[in-house]
Amino acid sequence: MLTKFETKSARVKGLSFHPKRPWVLASLHNGVIQLWDYRMCTLIDKFDEHDGPVRGIDFHKQQPLFVSGGDDYKIKVGLLTMKIVKIYNNENEWSALISYVSYFFLLCSVLTGHNHYVMCAQFHPSEDLVVSGSLDQTVRVWDISGLRKKNLSPGAVETEVRGISGVDLFGASDAVVKHVLEGHDRGVNWAAFHPTMPLIVSGADDRQVKIWRMNESKAWELDTCRGHYNNVSCAIFHPRQELILSNSEDKSIRVWDMSKRTGVQTFRRDHDRFWVLGAHPNLNLFAAGHDSGMIVFKLERERPAYAVHGNMLYYVKDRFLRQLDFNSSKDTAVMQLRSGSKFPVFSMSYNPAENAVLLCTRATNLENSTYDLYSIPKESDSQNPDAPEGKRSSGLTAVWVARNRFAVLDRMHSLLIKNLKNEIVKKVQVPSCEEIFYAGTGSLLLRDADGVTLFDVQQKRSLATVKISKVKYVVWSADTNLTNKYSNLKVFSAAIMICNRKLESLCNIHENIRVKSGAWDESGVFIYTTSNHIKYALTSGDHGIIRTLDLPIYVTRVRGNSVYCLDRECRPRVLTIDPTEYRFKLALVNRKYDEVLHMVRNAKLVGQSIIAYLQKKGYPEVALHFVKDEKTRFSLALECGNIEVALEAAKALDERSCWERLGEAALLQGHHQVVEMCYQRTKNFDKLTFLYLITGNLAKLRKMMKIAEIRKDMSGHYQAALYLGDVSERVRILKNCGQKSLAYLTAATHGLDEEAEALKETFDPEKETVPEVDPNAQLLQPPPPINPLDTNWPLLTVSKGFFEGAIAAKGKAGQMAADLDMDTSGGEGWGDDAELQLDEDGFVDAPEGLGEEGLGKEEGGGWDVEEDLDLPPELDVPVGAGGGTEDGFFVPPTKGTSPTQMWCNNSQLPVDHILAGSFETAMRLLHDQVGVVDFGPYKSLFMQTLSRGRTSYLGLPSLPCLRGHPQRNWKDCGAKQGLPAVGLRLSDLISRLQQCYQLTTAGRFEDAVERFRVILLSVPLLVVDNKQEIAEAQQLITICREYIVGLTMETERKKLPKDTLEQQKRLCEMAAYFTHCNLQPVHMVLVLRTALNLFFKLRNFKTAAGFARRLLELGPKPDVAQQTRKILAACEKNLTDAHQLNYDPHNPFDLCAASYVPLYRGRPVEKCPLSGACYCPPYKGQICRVTQATEIGKDVIGLRVSPLQFR
Amino acid sequence: FEPEIPTPPMITGQGDVDELFDVKNAYYIGSYQQCINEAQKVKPSSPEKEIERDMFLYRAYIAQRKYAVVLDDIKANSPPELQAVKMFAEYLSSESKRDVIVADLDKKMAKSVDAANTTFLLMAASIYHHEMNTDAALRALHQGESLECMAMTIQVLLSLDRVDLARKELKKMQEQDEDATLTQLATAWVNIAVGGEKLQDAYYIFQEMSDKYSSTLLLLNGQAACYMAQNKWEEAEGVLQEALDKDSSHPETLINLIVLTQHLGKAPEVTSRYLSQLKDAHRAHPFLKDYLAKENEFDRLAMQYAPTATA
Repeated sequence: MLTKFETKSARVKGLSFHPKRPWVLASLHNGVIQLWDYRMCTLIDKFDEHDGPVRGIDFHKQQPLFVSGGDDYKIKVGLLTMKIVKIYNNENEWSALISYVSYFFLLCSVLTGHNHYVMCAQFHPSEDLVVSGSLDQTVRVWDISGLRKKNLSPGAVETEVRGISGVDLFGASDAVVKHVLEGHDRGVNWAAFHPTMPLIVSGADDRQVKIWRMNESKAWELDTCRGHYNNVSCAIFHPRQELILSNSEDKSIRVWDMSKRTGVQTFRRDHDRFWVLGAHPNLNLFAAGHDSGMIVFKLERERPAYAVHGNMLYYVKDRFLRQLDFNSSKDTAVMQLRSGSKFPVFSMSYNPAENAVLLCTRATNLENSTYDLYSIPKESDSQNPDAPEGKRSSGLTAVWVARNRFAVLDRMHSLLIKNLKNEIVKKVQVPSCEEIFYAGTGSLLLRDADGVTLFDVQQKRSLATVKISKVKYVVWSADTNLTNKYSNLKVFSAAIMICNRKLESLCNIHENIRVKSGAWDESGVFIYTTSNHIKYALTSGDHGIIRTLDLPIYVTRVRGNSVYCLDRECRPRVLTIDPTEYRFKLALVNRKYDEVLHMVRNAKLVGQSIIAYLQKKGYPEVALHFVKDEKTRFSLALECGNIEVALEAAKALDERSCWERLGEAALLQGHHQVVEMCYQRTKNFDKLTFLYLITGNLAKLRKMMKIAEIRKDMSGHYQAALYLGDVSERVRILKNCGQKSLAYLTAATHGLDEEAEALKETFDPEKETVPEVDPNAQLLQPPPPINPLDTNWPLLTVSKGFFEGAIAAKGKAGQMAADLDMDTSGGEGWGDDAELQLDEDGFVDAPEGLGEEGLGKEEGGGWDVEEDLDLPPELDVPVGAGGGTEDGFFVPPTKGTSPTQMWCNNSQLPVDHILAGSFETAMRLLHDQVGVVDFGPYKSLFMQTLSRGRTSYLGLPSLPCLRGHPQRNWKDCGAKQGLPAVGLRLSDLISRLQQCYQLTTAGRFEDAVERFRVILLSVPLLVVDNKQEIAEAQQLITICREYIVGLTMETERKKLPKDTLEQQKRLCEMAAYFTHCNLQPVHMVLVLRTALNLFFKLRNFKTAAGFARRLLELGPKPDVAQQTRKILAACEKNLTDAHQLNYDPHNPFDLCAASYVPLYRGRPVEKCPLSGACYCPPYKGQICRVTQATEIGKDVIGLRVSPLQFR
Repeated sequence: FEPEIPTPPMITGQGDVDELFDVKNAYYIGSYQQCINEAQKVKPSSPEKEIERDMFLYRAYIAQRKYAVVLDDIKANSPPELQAVKMFAEYLSSESKRDVIVADLDKKMAKSVDAANTTFLLMAASIYHHEMNTDAALRALHQGESLECMAMTIQVLLSLDRVDLARKELKKMQEQDEDATLTQLATAWVNIAVGGEKLQDAYYIFQEMSDKYSSTLLLLNGQAACYMAQNKWEEAEGVLQEALDKDSSHPETLINLIVLTQHLGKAPEVTSRYLSQLKDAHRAHPFLKDYLAKENEFDRLAMQYAPTATA
């Protein structure tokens, strides 16, 4: 039993769950009715309207109403928010509310037939039946269809049935006894229908729970559940499972198996007798009322056991292990679990390396807990998955600690490490520990009473400890730097602590409600659920609500806006959340201001809370960009010292206090222009005057003096004069204000004799004495400003904050996106008139006449001999060598057979030998197969190939590294049949053609030829799997050959002189031959244009016309086509050839790749064994011009690139 | 006055804890700087432990090629274990003195050797292994019984392509301590040599260790070797990239990249760039010695062929 909620009150006699909201009503023996929120664990309201015990209470199914009935013979209907709305005092009025309730109290008073008090009465959920239990020891079933007939048209909805009004409701004929169930020996306290089956359960003072069955005609006792040792006060059917719950004055609640009629579970209280039970109509929740309150509980945990790995979720549902692919949403059952436990799977640990799971099952008595080790079948039929044999052992918890090890916390609370066979590998002494959690490879988190400890299983020592009590779950973030636990500190409150890998606490979050589950999203935000919310937590400690939930869910994974979760029915669901808030905060914390700015501009984030948040967290400059309200803007701007923005705001506000504050701030920054403006606005003349003095602005200072004079501000006026050093002005001021003697002294001291004299005369010698001039007086003269300060004080250049910059730069973006035009015209090699557009297409295949060379000749006989000679390593090593340690005399072992030796033995493909480093045999093979006689061009290919044959990895430090040997048949080659991974693919070679084509197009013929040759020479180093690919490889050779021959000839042609007619004729011939090389259309267009132009210039119009037609057939670009048509038209006017050339377009020929003369059909020809290039017979025995490696006319076996060719 | 911070109480039941675990472990997985840091942090409980600590400390310096530290620090009166380490450092630091050192070592080995000085045996074997004298290396190791001796034996046997014997030796290691870092590493080496399904196991061992401790060049290249042996080239690329980011001129990483880039079908220039890097930074690496030898062999062999006619 899992207690969800407990209350303390007077004896609870009635209970009712709200069908939708997390509310439960409890009616008490003292007349009070309480409305509780069992999820928030709070008392919502209290109704004290009854005198004496309230025995019946029920929620209305649809409306916010409830009804109660008490021993005061009153039935009251309460509105959930506004207290009691109406009190019904007599039967006549009861009818109006009869639809609200299951009213047993009501019925008790009207059912006639029982001989004693009716203790309980209940409507049938769907039929017109009532069941009642009475102290007369009987249970009676009543037919109330008369009631329906009386007032209702047929077909009325069930709820309306009870909304009848009538005076003689519940008359004698309305409730007719249908069955009388006798069997209890003492008074019956409770009777209830089964929600779907024709069953009744009853509990009585004879301490028995009885199950009854009924049909249309009769009802009979099925069985009795014995076990309570005091009066059974209540008994109900479990709404969804084959269980009966009963409670009793013996202070226990018992759960019975309905079919076996045996007790399954017993829950006891120490001091309280139980009185009533209530079941939630939809959820797996029950409530039980006892002497001093009530409890809300469920019978078993509803948390699904699940584990997440990569994109896969594994979870247990209905005795199946299921696998959900998050990406494809494919949900399949992968195996069936061994049955036999009555408890659901408590937790799961998944091992991706071995595809194995540990499923822990927790029994009521913890010591009886077990775990099962299953290895998940590789393939399974989702409809009917296998039920593999698992290994079961006892243990509280089992979790994987390594690929082939798991840890078990056994019932003695010691730690066992086991292997995949479920055998104990070692026992580890651990500090006191009541639960273990996964903590990365080789580590565990151990929970004890007041904290968790990170424990290294291999080293058997504690690495770190953190104090947090009652940790329930641990969720690791993907990079395992952070760990997170949410723990239940007290039973009904919870906390989350985020720690790093060293268990240093990063933040603590307290929750009022239970934390249910959580997962890290990809950006490192922890998303968790409580009973009714999805929330987020940043590692900085910021947290908040994302959305509310109706029912608890268990988060399995968070990606972007999606929260993947399981609900209580184990259904995978995906909820959408709005991540803006936490992403915003995260971006702020990580100082990713560009993101912040983007959100500020694009998301609907603006709000006082965000501004307050930003201000509080020390980001006033960010907040500045949210704020429209000038006042806030002003103070934010001052806070972050942004005078410009503050000035703007101050102008808009134009308040004295603002200007004053701004002035102060600006003065601190030496921004005296703003200071000046502030003083002007606030008419602070004194300060303004002083400002002008210190900035040396004499003109303005003088103006200030004038203003002071106008304002009749004597002292200000005088002060300004003093600042200015304007003595005559001072004298004037003093004179004007009647300070004659001071004026005289000033004038006299400063040597203004004229004035002094004038003043002296005004003295009345009789009344006044002329003051003495101090002969030692020193003049007070302000120093003249050296350099008036016009600009603001220089400030250190501070890089502008991101936000200021970003805001300023707004609108400037986008200018850099200028397009770069690609220069695609042909390079110089193509001559002036042969430019073309670059428009490469792929590898155009299928020229006819490929693969003429015969296959399957038997060869390589010499190799067989060598194979025979190779002895298995076990044989060529004396036995004593390996086992020499036994007799104490150590005989070092001989060298074994390396994989590379095997490769040579297993293959006759040249590349395998090169990879193995056996150049000698490789050369022999290439010589025999394709006639290579000069290996110069092959050197780099050999070396490169060799270098990819072996990987290296480090063994012990400072020792020479170990070598790995990647093999292409590594899966099934065993120790002897290995063949090296080739690393050269036909497709790669084909794609390298593109580069060659581009070089050709660009006119870089020599580079192109070089690359074509490398491709050609690489072909014999291929290994391919099928005939199609063999054909493609040969075709690749042909393409390379055609280009090499053509391009070399063209290069040759360009070098030739063109001074004489003969020389020009030769040039034309070669250009003509070039048009017979098999090239890509895009190149052929260029070749034909060259030939066309040359022949046209030579006035060989007939042949030129032929080239023109061939060119047009290729569909060149419009401008080229147009020009060609013009030339063609010109040629056709005069279809003759001016000169005789060695070129007959109609007579097919091969081109000698050395002398570039046509070899017409039937003439003797020698070919290169690899490239297939043709030569005049005299060249036999020489090096092929195309490959530069093979011998012309050599007799060879032929190209071998596949094991197929040896069968 | 600053109160001394009390050391946290040891949790009971840790009788067999190795106080130098972190030091050794860091060394074996190739996290040399961490090894040095740990060694400087740890407070050995006995003089023996202190020597052991120093041994690992100096070997970590050797692995970092900081030979001078070792040569300067270890004095003539230092314990024999450390002298052995110094000998190895001398051997590695100068090519010219190698012959002398080996000759000297031969003499020492010819006399009866203190088998308890495992360090000496290991260092001797290391030198012989570098000298490609596997017989002498194995003979030296045969006298020791420590896990590391066995691990080195396995490595030498693997270099001889004697997987069968390596497996026997591994079994002995596993009997002694299956979960020890060295045993795990040795299991991975043998698994790579065995190939087939064992490759995945080997991969998991490396991966688990980098998960648990830290990902080092040693572990990353191990993972890469497993991936490549399974023809998982794309996966290997990620691992090697990580290794390259850690150290752009680490020879084994470069060698593996030379292999990988070709298998990934990258342009030949990419491969040759790594080869040039390797030639630049590690002229003396066995891979390059092999490579040059093979080039010469190629030239020699190519001379045996010629066309029947010349133009």
